Amino acid sequence: MTKKGPGAIIKRFREITQKPHDYAKSLKAKGQLLSGYMCTHVPEEILYAAGIVPVRILSSHVSQAMSRSYIHETYCSFSHDCAYQGLQHSCDYLDLIVTSSSCIHMSEAFNVWVRFAGFQEKSFLIPYPHIIQTKPASDFLAASFGEFKQFVERVSKKAITDDDLERAVKVYNHNRRLLKRLWEFLRRDHSPITGPEVATATLASQVMDKEECNQMLEQLIQRLEAEPGKAPSGVRLMVTGGACDDLGIFDLIERLNYRASLVFVDSCTAARYFWFEVPEDRPNKLKALIEGYLGRIPCPAKDNVPGTGEKKRFRFIQQFIEDFKPDGVVFLYQRFCSPQPMDIVALKPIVEKLGIPSTELELDTTVPVIQFRTQLEALAEIITRVAP
Amino acid sequence: MKNDGKIVAGLDAGHIATKAVIMRGQKILGYSASPTGFDVVAAAETALHHALETSRISRWGLAGIVSTGIFRELLKESPLDVTMTIPEYAADAKGAFFQNKDSRTVIDIGGNIHKAMHYDQNGNLLDVIQNDKCADGLGIFYTSIARSLGLSEQELSELALKSTKDVSIAIQCALSAESEVIDLMCQGVDAADVADAASKFMSERVAAMCTYMPLTKEIVAAGGLAKSPALIKHLSRLIKRDLTVVDLPEYIGAIGAAMSYEGGK
Amino acid sequence: MAYTLTTWNDFKNYQTTRYRNYLFATQGLRCMGSTWSILAPLKGLGEDIHLIGGEPHAASAAGTFPDESREDIAAAEIGGLGFHSCSYLKLFTGEVIRDKIAITDKTIKEGYPRPDVIWTTHLCSQHSKWYQEVSRRLGGVPLYPIDMIGGGNAEKDPKIVDYVSDQVQEGIRWLERITGREFSDKLFIKAARNEIKVLVLWGNICALNMAAPAPLDERRLIALFPPAVVDRTTDEAVRLYEALLKEVRYMVETKDSVVPDQRYRIVYFGIAHTYGHPEMARILRDAGAEIVASVYTFGTCGNFRGFVNGKWSWEPLDLRWVDELDLSTRRKAITELVKIALGWPTWQGVRSYWALEEMAGAMVAEYNADGLLLAPSRSCETDFRNGYIAMQRIFKDRIPTVEYDTDQVDVRKMDLPGAQRKTELFVHLMEARKKGGARR
Repeated sequence: MTKKGPGAIIKRFREITQKPHDYAKSLKAKGQLLSGYMCTHVPEEILYAAGIVPVRILSSHVSQAMSRSYIHETYCSFSHDCAYQGLQHSCDYLDLIVTSSSCIHMSEAFNVWVRFAGFQEKSFLIPYPHIIQTKPASDFLAASFGEFKQFVERVSKKAITDDDLERAVKVYNHNRRLLKRLWEFLRRDHSPITGPEVATATLASQVMDKEECNQMLEQLIQRLEAEPGKAPSGVRLMVTGGACDDLGIFDLIERLNYRASLVFVDSCTAARYFWFEVPEDRPNKLKALIEGYLGRIPCPAKDNVPGTGEKKRFRFIQQFIEDFKPDGVVFLYQRFCSPQPMDIVALKPIVEKLGIPSTELELDTTVPVIQFRTQLEALAEIITRVAP
Repeated sequence: MKNDGKIVAGLDAGHIATKAVIMRGQKILGYSASPTGFDVVAAAETALHHALETSRISRWGLAGIVSTGIFRELLKESPLDVTMTIPEYAADAKGAFFQNKDSRTVIDIGGNIHKAMHYDQNGNLLDVIQNDKCADGLGIFYTSIARSLGLSEQELSELALKSTKDVSIAIQCALSAESEVIDLMCQGVDAADVADAASKFMSERVAAMCTYMPLTKEIVAAGGLAKSPALIKHLSRLIKRDLTVVDLPEYIGAIGAAMSYEGGK
Repeated sequence: MAYTLTTWNDFKNYQTTRYRNYLFATQGLRCMGSTWSILAPLKGLGEDIHLIGGEPHAASAAGTFPDESREDIAAAEIGGLGFHSCSYLKLFTGEVIRDKIAITDKTIKEGYPRPDVIWTTHLCSQHSKWYQEVSRRLGGVPLYPIDMIGGGNAEKDPKIVDYVSDQVQEGIRWLERITGREFSDKLFIKAARNEIKVLVLWGNICALNMAAPAPLDERRLIALFPPAVVDRTTDEAVRLYEALLKEVRYMVETKDSVVPDQRYRIVYFGIAHTYGHPEMARILRDAGAEIVASVYTFGTCGNFRGFVNGKWSWEPLDLRWVDELDLSTRRKAITELVKIALGWPTWQGVRSYWALEEMAGAMVAEYNADGLLLAPSRSCETDFRNGYIAMQRIFKDRIPTVEYDTDQVDVRKMDLPGAQRKTELFVHLMEARKKGGARR
């Protein structure tokens, strides 16, 4: 690969996020098998080990109402958009569509693909526990992952060996570590890269061949380490919430009338996607995968510790606050999402106790830019007045 | 026809407007509409009065009055003393069939409710599909957007046809759409593009409803919003069918009501 | 002439007594939990266990105290719960926030009785959060959620049965630790057999509605199943439902019905929404239309033959099978309980769209329906909102099918005028179909 500056690499990541289908089709043109996935609980390593590149299904951000006659009105726009893409046959080039049972909205989007978009024979639903912090969950998932592995072997007509799995785990872990390093830049007051740029690379990684992505990330990180920092971060804002693949919102945060920087994003389209590792060099590869996936930052739809009812995700969020030192928190969630807003009810008092102001933004197919700007600027104003 | 020769009035008491039609047999003698407001009886009286004036018929010349529409029952008592009432979907089917004998499906896009009716070769109702709650209020939304842009509804419709850029607005409901439209205006988006986005939003809601019912070949559009060519253009594209707008599209309910007098066909 | 059920008051009293016990008990254990949980394990902790379940309580509170319920929901929203959240959840949480609870005998108690444990299930993403929120607001009540991963035919999948059974087994150990009580297998097994029996009894009662005229209408069905939901583990519950079964069998023999004029038989797929039901019922009754079968009232607390060779049947299970069940050990009892719960139509439909659609088809056929009324609830996360979207498309050609928007207990979200219009339309379509029209 030729030497590229950070700007060129980020631009390439951005292009991929803007035209993920084009990128996926370019892989297909090289003879690559592709599997779409709708939820980050899918153990991508199993697909990768079989020589299939997993490509996350993300929003197209085009408003439409046709999916309303397949999924109820009051399901989130992310699920509607994903369903619509299936109905429009935008992803017919995929060899497979896979999801894990997670939230009901995305399960229904998946069902639309299976029932109405021609994916009946090339789909797999991985039964994934909803209560994950239990021993029975781990045992159950072992069976689920085992069945999934067998399915993938049938589809790819290739036995997946332990070596294949170990290789895939290492590639994916490397990707996770690289993404983590990228986000770590944002801890600095003068980061050489902006939050939206990091979010862009993270989002792109979810639709890319991980080996290619890793090469680009390595180059990017190497360049950035030599780069001087940009302007001081100003008001440091952290986002926590649900699936958000609209990079325009993150761009908006850094284009306020106040100097503000996005310093962290806790969502399944950002940190929750990669902030964990699968143990390497274990004799039982599936068990290692289970340990990794069950140990990640929990999705709110799966975050309920038996015995206490604790939401484990909050511990991670508190750690992120400690590490990234945001001045303000933006709660971001899909309109009509069930688990996220319920979590915010419990999370808000914690954030308040830490003395951190917050605001809530409700996502839909399109972003009401002016309204969001007003809310974000109000938050920035509260922060800058309170700051000494 | 049973009511051949008799002069009959049909009243369609809707959310936004109350319409009156005067008919003799197969002939429409006159029609008029009045905003329903908070007094549907007064609105019906006004509409009826003007329709009779344009028909040059006196009130006493009427053999009967049939009411339909969401507020049809409120017109039963004095002073209107309607002869009978008929559900709006049945009236719409008859009215649409009357206006276009080749049609077998009508999509009626009204002020608050939109629905699609499938009927037989005599205009008898076979099936109906109606919008869900989130899709309420398309006509009200349209009027509101026109007002926000300082235009009449007709001007809004004409402006939409001049759009050169596709703009998306969230389509959860008319309320959120209105909020988005205002946001777009504040961002400086071209008014024609905003007008077209609003038309597209409404047509998408209607089209989504239509997927529940297999559509026949001969489809017509009716209701006040059918007068928007931009909306009809989008709707036609979305349902992948040619759409004809009937004459007097907002009056088909009143026409159907009049046609139903004494069980008439 | 309309038949009057002799067992009616006994059912009302049973439900009320259970609620009063929870509210006013000075001894024993208060257990809060989900309607959809397996209840027998709680009864292994002793004979002084007082239960309250989320859905039946919220539904009955809304029906008895509409104004209080509105205040509860408002309090929950002010407390941060979203407008779009489950209205049962909001009503229930709102009571906790307002520190006030209202029950079916018109009692309003100041001071919310804090449960000792919460024993619940992960029914949906909201349900999971529901009890977490209640636990948090009450200062951290010990909470044990069970993942009923379920779906169509789930009770026949040993992997799923074992998974759920393992959780219940762990849960029992947890209950002992938390309460400090020794778990009695004797009490548990007795409660388990009663629980299974009541579920099968209710299924038998519902299946009798296949007769013409159907002996029971929806109004009665909605009122007769809550006792099973509230506490189906007692000997008294078994006696109640045995008496009801006997009575309804008699009604079928004598061709009696609580509503004799039944010109149209309706299958209803929707949650039992509190508001608007009387208005819908009036429109239907005027046309001689009655809901004779309903997935929610039948399937939330009743078991049927279910899937046999890929086809669903609403035929009842043999009661003798319950008596013959081997519940000789704790694990065996757990396993049978889990299977029966996973076999509930609602547990199956809520996880598998295909199961729901099979059930609907079977219900329309077996109950000889003239129309299918769909009422998705705007607050509900599950198939009770979404499942009916596809069903409209599937059934519209076969049978008059109309869908109207509703909500469980939030009157603001209940589209009453729209629902009334659509119910009228539904009647019109059924009438036209019967006359030979309304067919493509």
